[in-house]
Amino acid sequence: MKDFMMIFLGPSYEELGLSPEQMQERMGKWFAWSEKMGRAGYLKGGNALVPVSKRVTGPDRVVSDGPFVEAKEMIGGYYIVSAESADAVVKIAEDFPDYDLDGAVEIREVIVFEQ
Amino acid sequence: MSQEKLVDHLFRHQYGKMVAILTRIFGLTHLQMVEDAVQDTFILAVQKWKMNPPENPEAWLTAAAKNRMIDLLRKIKADQTRLDNLVTGPSAMVLNDLFLDHEIEDSQLRMIFTACHPTLKPIEQIAFALKTISGFSTKEIASALLQKEETIKKRLSRARKSIKENDIKFSLPEKKDIPLRMKRVLEVIYLIFNEGFHSGQKEYLVRKELCGEALRLCKMILKKTNFRSGAGYALFGLMCLHTARLESKTNERNEIVDLENQDRSTWFRPLIILGDNALTKSFGYDDISTFQIEAAIASVHLNAPTFEATDWETILKHYKNLNQFHATPFTRLHLAIVHLQLQQNDEAYDLLQKIKPASLEQRSYLYFGAMADYYKTIQKKDKALDCYQKALASVNNDAEKKFLLKKIDQLTK
Repeated sequence: MKDFMMIFLGPSYEELGLSPEQMQERMGKWFAWSEKMGRAGYLKGGNALVPVSKRVTGPDRVVSDGPFVEAKEMIGGYYIVSAESADAVVKIAEDFPDYDLDGAVEIREVIVFEQ
Repeated sequence: MSQEKLVDHLFRHQYGKMVAILTRIFGLTHLQMVEDAVQDTFILAVQKWKMNPPENPEAWLTAAAKNRMIDLLRKIKADQTRLDNLVTGPSAMVLNDLFLDHEIEDSQLRMIFTACHPTLKPIEQIAFALKTISGFSTKEIASALLQKEETIKKRLSRARKSIKENDIKFSLPEKKDIPLRMKRVLEVIYLIFNEGFHSGQKEYLVRKELCGEALRLCKMILKKTNFRSGAGYALFGLMCLHTARLESKTNERNEIVDLENQDRSTWFRPLIILGDNALTKSFGYDDISTFQIEAAIASVHLNAPTFEATDWETILKHYKNLNQFHATPFTRLHLAIVHLQLQQNDEAYDLLQKIKPASLEQRSYLYFGAMADYYKTIQKKDKALDCYQKALASVNNDAEKKFLLKKIDQLTK
């Protein structure tokens, strides 16, 4: 088994101005998805990220405030999952709830360094 | 936790509750701030829950609203802005009490009376109620009322402005004012209901939502002994009875099905019983209302096993009653239609003749439709066709249009 990071990209719900009813509908889909993954034993953890971002750059450590990318490229959160292969994670990602809101999932394998 | 644990409309209803509680604390002048704060709370909840679903979403949301309240109080203190009704500062304990169930209900009732305040126009009242009490977004209100989103935004901002300008307090009416204020509340609830019931909206769900909200608001009022009345129970009964047959009003092709051809097996029995019970309760009060007579009429229809078995005599009696109690062009029109059912064609014609179609405004097609039915009954096909054409020319709604075209088609065959 290998570990993968599923990175969720897309506009924040705040930006989309979702109504309470729509948010609840989204929530239901996310619950169903994470429950399904949990049952299958894929899910190891994850976090949601606040949309506000800061960036530190250059030798002078210049601090600038985001956003640095377009809304649909914003990272909203990530899951760490454990699976056989990247293809298996692609399969999992098929149920990601927010494709219709211009969302996307990026899949990155976590490098394991041999001792 | 599983998906099933999210109660239907939990977010929407919770939104209304939180806005009501926070408005009670911060006052109507800060309504916009309160609404934004509650919206933020939901965004936060959704973000957090995605990764970590809570055991009890409702409790989580309530706790989040409390935290939000404390944040806002701090912020306001920091900004050195004074809150009119917080100057003397109710203690934290009092504030906590506002999150108890019966206090939430009390706050929501205050919001209902605010929304239905006589200084607001009916169209503003509906939009405001759907937004602040029911938690619809402007987009959802626009779609439910078949209006542009911009129009709804304007109505909402006019409502907020008028609340500020008239210095409307977030309070319950005094005892002596209750009957008059309650009358308006019930009217607004019925307007919301009718928007759902008569809507040309394609989606059955959208219509059901509005009817459901009207029922919920009415129920909130009937929970409080002070606010109960014959009219309140009668309205609740009337809406239950209508809702029981909501689904059968249109078929799967979104065509209107008239009462005669509706599939009565789909009528929802529990709602009919609930409606009849509420109607019976309304007779225990002294006040008489159009709602009561209309509910009595609906009850006769809903309890008839077939269209042919409808007790038209009783319905005629009720309509005559209604016409005496509160005559409108609509009550006269309905009375005429009932006479037609009883083959009392002359009586029907007599009444129809006295109605000015223009007085029915956008529903004037109903008049022409009835007139057409009359001519059809007395075998004057040409005149009937002529009336159907007039009806067609004055109808906006697609489903109604199709319904009329079908009638014309049947007549020309």
